Amino acid sequence: MDIPGAKDSIDPATFEQILEMDDDEDEREFSKSIVYDFFGQAESTFEKMDKKLEESDLKTLSELGHFLKGSSATLGLTKVQAQCEKIQHYGQKKDDTGSRDITEEDALKKLKTTITEAKTEFQDVEKVLKKFYRDEA
Amino acid sequence: MAAPTAAGQDYATQTAPLPPPLAPSGREDDHPLLLENDSFAADFFRRTPIPTILFDGALRVGQVSESYLKVSGGCSAEEVLGLHADALFDHKVTLPSLGSVREALREALDTKRPYELLDEFQPNGSAWTIRVVPIFRNGVLQYIQMELKDSTEERQRQLELEERLYTNETFRILVETVKDYAIFMLDPNGNVATWNAGAQVFKGYTKDEIIGKHFSNFYGTEDRKNDKPGRELKDALRDGRVEDEGWRYRKDGTRFWANVVITPIYRGDILIGFAKVTRDLSERKKAESSLIEAYEEASKLKSEFLANMSHEIRTPMHGMLSALTLLLDTQLNSEQLELARVIEESGDVLLHVINDILDYSKLSSGTFSISHDIICVPDIVQSVFRAHEKCCKPEISLENHIDPKLPKAAEGDSLRYRQIIQNLMSNATKFTEHGYVRMIARLESETIESYTILTEVIDSGIGVPKVSSGSLFTPFMQFDNSATKKYQGTGLGLSICKTLAELMGGDIGFRANPEGKGSIFWFTAKMKKVKQLPPVDIVHEQIKELALHTPIVPFEDIKLAAVDKRILLAEDNPINQKVMVKMLVGLGFDSVDRAANGREAVEMSTKDPAPYSAILMDINMPILDGVGATREIRDAGIDTPIIAMTANALKGQAESYIAKGMTAYVSKPVDRDILVKVLLKCLTPATSD
Repeated sequence: MDIPGAKDSIDPATFEQILEMDDDEDEREFSKSIVYDFFGQAESTFEKMDKKLEESDLKTLSELGHFLKGSSATLGLTKVQAQCEKIQHYGQKKDDTGSRDITEEDALKKLKTTITEAKTEFQDVEKVLKKFYRDEA
Repeated sequence: MAAPTAAGQDYATQTAPLPPPLAPSGREDDHPLLLENDSFAADFFRRTPIPTILFDGALRVGQVSESYLKVSGGCSAEEVLGLHADALFDHKVTLPSLGSVREALREALDTKRPYELLDEFQPNGSAWTIRVVPIFRNGVLQYIQMELKDSTEERQRQLELEERLYTNETFRILVETVKDYAIFMLDPNGNVATWNAGAQVFKGYTKDEIIGKHFSNFYGTEDRKNDKPGRELKDALRDGRVEDEGWRYRKDGTRFWANVVITPIYRGDILIGFAKVTRDLSERKKAESSLIEAYEEASKLKSEFLANMSHEIRTPMHGMLSALTLLLDTQLNSEQLELARVIEESGDVLLHVINDILDYSKLSSGTFSISHDIICVPDIVQSVFRAHEKCCKPEISLENHIDPKLPKAAEGDSLRYRQIIQNLMSNATKFTEHGYVRMIARLESETIESYTILTEVIDSGIGVPKVSSGSLFTPFMQFDNSATKKYQGTGLGLSICKTLAELMGGDIGFRANPEGKGSIFWFTAKMKKVKQLPPVDIVHEQIKELALHTPIVPFEDIKLAAVDKRILLAEDNPINQKVMVKMLVGLGFDSVDRAANGREAVEMSTKDPAPYSAILMDINMPILDGVGATREIRDAGIDTPIIAMTANALKGQAESYIAKGMTAYVSKPVDRDILVKVLLKCLTPATSD
């Protein structure tokens, strides 16, 4: 299954696995519901992230990052997943690999840019997926 | 003896009137007769029961008792009275002997004191004590009283005593001086009572140092700790004797290999001690062990030689056989082809023989080891069976019965396990012309640690003659030793199988087929249970391999395993939850419950009986995380398999989850093929119950 425009933003094997769960390849009811659920989940999570960023609530930001990382990983949305992982680490006052400590100030600064990047990645892959399902449907 | 009669006579004479004085008779000179007129004295001497002669100062017989006359040979008093002592003893009587009498008289007269002498020179073997009492008046010899006492019995006793003393002494000297044995006595408590030269040589203690000390001093610390000395005394009392071989210690701490015999000694019913005899067997022991060493060395050299030789032969054999294969592919006329086929066949047999010898020599030189891989037993059994199916004679029907409980994963050596089945199957098909060959593999027993797998090969072939059945597993034994050997082989196969089975902690055996014709060969193998799943990267490798060779994952297995199984999925992210449920349902699990956090997972799974066959547990969850939930579930005594799920686990984290009570681990995003593998492993023990 080739997803036009997905390039390296979607891991084909993982997404394929979701697609295989569809009972009907034309309808794609299951995978579509999952993907659209994810869209909703991502949007609400980003909203929460913006709010928590204002409150400088690092701990919750990290948890939100982990949460969205999990579902994006399940769908194989690798780029979003990577940004979310960074958010998780920065929220724990660690660098992007989670190995070295950083200051709270530094963390907040990095979180601000990373959340923006995550949103961008999400919007990109959202377009690709929406197109994919419109085309399919 | 004569005493009571004599006493009787005395009693009789007391009442009778005193006899008249003896009439003088046979006098040769005019010396006045002794006590001639003293009838009282005469009567006394005549009647005393003690054989007595009374001489006067000139040694002439003055009085003689009837008792003497009686014992000395029946002369009458008249015949002896007045005779000189020499004349009396030389001619008239033989008791006592002349020599003894003369000696006694001389001694008594010389010393002027009573003198006693034992006369043991009587021809009839009797012995008499001669007592000579010289009686003086104013320094002048007046009388000599001579009494005799029968000392035969006393003498006899004396002689016996002397002899016994002599024997005892001989033994004592023998025991004390013998140096090749330590011989000594212990008192009833085990303290040393006697000591001999041998003991001193062996043990280094002098008599003074050791007497009174306990004999456990000769034993090593270990023996003393186990109270071996005490036990030996008890055993000796119970059995009358105890013999032991072992190390004994000298005074200087060095040791020697000893043979020890302890025997209890009784006097009457009373235990007076123990005799202990120790031999030094160091030399023999040394000779024995050097013999054994030499034998082992020779045997090892032989095996090594065989192994090397076989290896050296095998290499060119392979070359030859490969070249032959190439040759067979070329254009050959029918005659050449036939010859080439003969070479090929013989070469195959030879190679087989060499491989057998190589295995055998490796096994017997101890350089062989069994590997412990994770193997799938039914797969191996199946594959051997299929191989035989392909090349089996059409007259034989091949059957197999594979126990569904056979472990699909256990620690074992697949190559060697296969080799035994292969060997038994080849034998069965080789020796069976028609009928059947049946292979049965089943789980014989199971402990927490391991499985014991019994494999039987039953055939309706020629069977094994009773005489040969005992030596079936002996190397190089073939019961068909006829000149026209119908069956080929080294006779090593079964002996190799035996060693392999033993290396696998099992056994091998034979019995006649109870259906009348043929044999049953069986063997067991112990295989350790797989405690933990292989690390995830290995599963990954296996999956990759699987993907390369057979792209189809055996979903039949998981669908079979999924029947009637309830799964709990603990996952907080609704998207992941939805995907996982869909995946599980797709695999055949139609009963999947969800928990949104660890707390819920604990509440749902800790029931009696445990409601789930497996729990899929996300690590990062709100309220209670996966690790905490696992701990609570395990604390509640629930041993349901728990599979950890998390994204980007660091290296080593998988192991740490398993250490925290989880059963297995899959990384996120969950790959379906890996999940199938892991679920199968977790659910298989449950299916084999």
